[in-house]
Amino acid sequence: MLSGCAAAAQGAKLAEVEVICSYPIRPYTAIMMELARMVANGELDAEFIHGEGEHAQVSVVLGASAAGARAYTGSSGVGVTYAFEVYSPAAGGRYPLQMAIADRTLDPPGDFGSEHTDAMSARDQGWLMGWAATPQEVLDNTLINFRVGEDPAIMLPQFVCQDGYFLSHIPDKVIVPELSQVREFLPPYKAPHPLSTECPVSHGPQIRPDQGAPMDAQRAATFLEVPRVIERAVADYNRIFGRNYDPYLEKYKMEDAEVAYFIQGAHANTCKAAINRLRSKGLKAGMVRPRWVRPWPTQQIAEAFAKVKAVASVETSTSYGGAMRGGNLVHELRASLYDLERRPLVTSFMAGLGGDVILLEDFEYMAKILTQMVQEKKTRQHVYWIGFEE
Amino acid sequence: MGEAFDYKKQILEPIKSMRSAPAEEMYLPGHRTCAGCGPALNYRLTAKAAGKDTIFIGPTGCMYVANSSYLCTPYAVSWIHAQITNGGAVASGIEAAYKILARKKKYTGAFPNVIVMAGDGGSVDIGLQAMSAMMYRGHDILFICYDNEAYANTGIQTSPTTPYGANTTFTPPGKAIPEGKTLFPKDPPQLVIGGHPAVKYVATTCISYPVDLMNKVRKALNVNGPTFLHMLAPCPKGWKFDEKLTREMGRLAVDTGMWSLYEWENGVYKYSHIPKQYKPVGEYMKFQGRFSHLKAEHIAKMQAFVDEKIQRVKAIAVEAAIPTPKARA
Amino acid sequence: MPIKVPKDREVPFGAITPAPVGQQELFITSNWRIVRPVIDHEKCTRCFTCYASCPDSCWSFNEKEEKMEWNWKFCKGCQICIYECPADALSAAPELDFEDGVVRLEKPF
Repeated sequence: MLSGCAAAAQGAKLAEVEVICSYPIRPYTAIMMELARMVANGELDAEFIHGEGEHAQVSVVLGASAAGARAYTGSSGVGVTYAFEVYSPAAGGRYPLQMAIADRTLDPPGDFGSEHTDAMSARDQGWLMGWAATPQEVLDNTLINFRVGEDPAIMLPQFVCQDGYFLSHIPDKVIVPELSQVREFLPPYKAPHPLSTECPVSHGPQIRPDQGAPMDAQRAATFLEVPRVIERAVADYNRIFGRNYDPYLEKYKMEDAEVAYFIQGAHANTCKAAINRLRSKGLKAGMVRPRWVRPWPTQQIAEAFAKVKAVASVETSTSYGGAMRGGNLVHELRASLYDLERRPLVTSFMAGLGGDVILLEDFEYMAKILTQMVQEKKTRQHVYWIGFEE
Repeated sequence: MGEAFDYKKQILEPIKSMRSAPAEEMYLPGHRTCAGCGPALNYRLTAKAAGKDTIFIGPTGCMYVANSSYLCTPYAVSWIHAQITNGGAVASGIEAAYKILARKKKYTGAFPNVIVMAGDGGSVDIGLQAMSAMMYRGHDILFICYDNEAYANTGIQTSPTTPYGANTTFTPPGKAIPEGKTLFPKDPPQLVIGGHPAVKYVATTCISYPVDLMNKVRKALNVNGPTFLHMLAPCPKGWKFDEKLTREMGRLAVDTGMWSLYEWENGVYKYSHIPKQYKPVGEYMKFQGRFSHLKAEHIAKMQAFVDEKIQRVKAIAVEAAIPTPKARA
Repeated sequence: MPIKVPKDREVPFGAITPAPVGQQELFITSNWRIVRPVIDHEKCTRCFTCYASCPDSCWSFNEKEEKMEWNWKFCKGCQICIYECPADALSAAPELDFEDGVVRLEKPF
């Protein structure tokens, strides 16, 4: 039985990370405390560096990655936003370091509860990013992300995210693989042009004025390669470790779903329980849980919802002033569905903010709205702030 | 930070003269620095002294932007750009990576010299946190602050090492503020010496004393732990003097007491050069357009500040010859 | 949707370039200068001050000929070496006085 934090630490240990940079902030700190214990005991041979802040954490592991070491760090909440400056240098410099994020509501006012806004606000920085729903998936994602990120065709840093508290601190059954299995799945990190004395290189000179746009285009082209690398990695993972992951989405009872939820992270577990309840009452509900935010599984989402009549995204993050005046999943969801011959109706629900639990009753309320939308053949509102409506 | 690990690092021998210094350039011709650039000269001498087993970390600043314009750099050794905020942190990661890779025998070469070349802003302003943390953690890194006394690359703005009375674009003199800059500067080596128990060697250098500079670089690199060098880097554009006077400005800085040339080693100060007779600060300031607006009362204030610094020098004593580095474990 | 960057605008992977060898030929700076240092080898005492003073590494010692050698391709004409020479062996001459004066060239680089 491991919590999400403990599972992440196990994943990092199995990945034989070489340079770790810590800084305390709730709720991800438990990952670092566990790794510190492992290093002190000799269970893990790594350089454990006490960073002076989250900005430093990402900077330290960036340097380590540039020198050819597999590097690992993490943070939560305002720590994630404090490190922001270094995200683009890490992605543009093609350093495949990994950052574990146990998300947390951003200040103000210093709430420790889960909210996805912290990591979501970094989704444009060019990293791979995705949420786990169980401690098992946290461990698995740690390994899968190293494999995908360090692929020679990819070479990108990764945000491996989990819900603070709900996932980071609540234990569940985790199968911890053998090191030999991991070594079969994850080859050693090989930096293409490490900082070395044998073969001197310059990392990150200023580029010519006409090269800014091409650099962006090249980075975008890399993201076009990521899906096939993910598919191969997940196929290998399933084979070696006996799991059954879809590379992109977790689909629950979608085969004949008429209404569906689009939800990421640990709250999806409650959602599945709610779906079971709803189905026993006769409603054909289903759920799609994206395992990746970047790269966004556009095609797969469109296919998954093609036959559904109404979809609701469950927003556990905020995007004030955004197009739908709610969260940010709904924007990319709608964009994914736009080209369908027959588009489902789409709405969104703000729930699980500020560390709130999403209750079964909340999911049932959402189902009620979705059913209403199907009957009326229209969307009345684009966003519902559950608990805060007139 | 992992267990104690005995890694082999080369010991650099003292340099006896300019002529006997290694002829090989590690900071090559072909960079967009201003003609007569003080920081560039510092870089060249440092790189020469450090040799080929070196990795430079270059936080944003003149020595990044001007050196690496248009996808080409003048570094014959490995170099990585860092943000102006995190020179110390990126260097820490590189040093740690080498430690673990050496321990795991994934890397079997000579342990490289890891050197941060940061400007004054990247050392004691926006970069202070990373620099101090690196010193505290005891990484085997040489942190060099090349001090041109301003944020020069962005068009000469004041930094914490800009002298009192300097005209910069953020401290222009005017009717309401006649002296321009009203604040007195931070003292970078004293910041390091003050409270970092892992630091064993700190020194100041000046390009007018090139052999002294190179030997201090080597001495610092021979130390197994964090070290700090504060390098005076006169800036013709920022200080507004004729570019051929770059080395002369260095000499005058030392001769007037505006710059002290010393080493601090395990708690002991040793001065590399103390003028027999200090010149008045006006002799230094008169060449520099950044001070041309000052009145007698401002110059007097500057003199008082320098006199107080000089008293400290005289109190500490022991004028030493140009230092020669000793081999250390 | 394919993305194709024209070859002449490509950026190396991760903006990582190999270190230069000898000199950085991609950033020639001789066309910056309006004067160049001229050396009187008779007066020169081989003190290496010019070599120590140049931010652009433009002075080197030719061991075989036992003479100081000047780098035509990169000297920016800052005149530090001329100012510093203790033997008065260096003087500044206008670049235009020379056949190979860079400002004369039709195509600088």
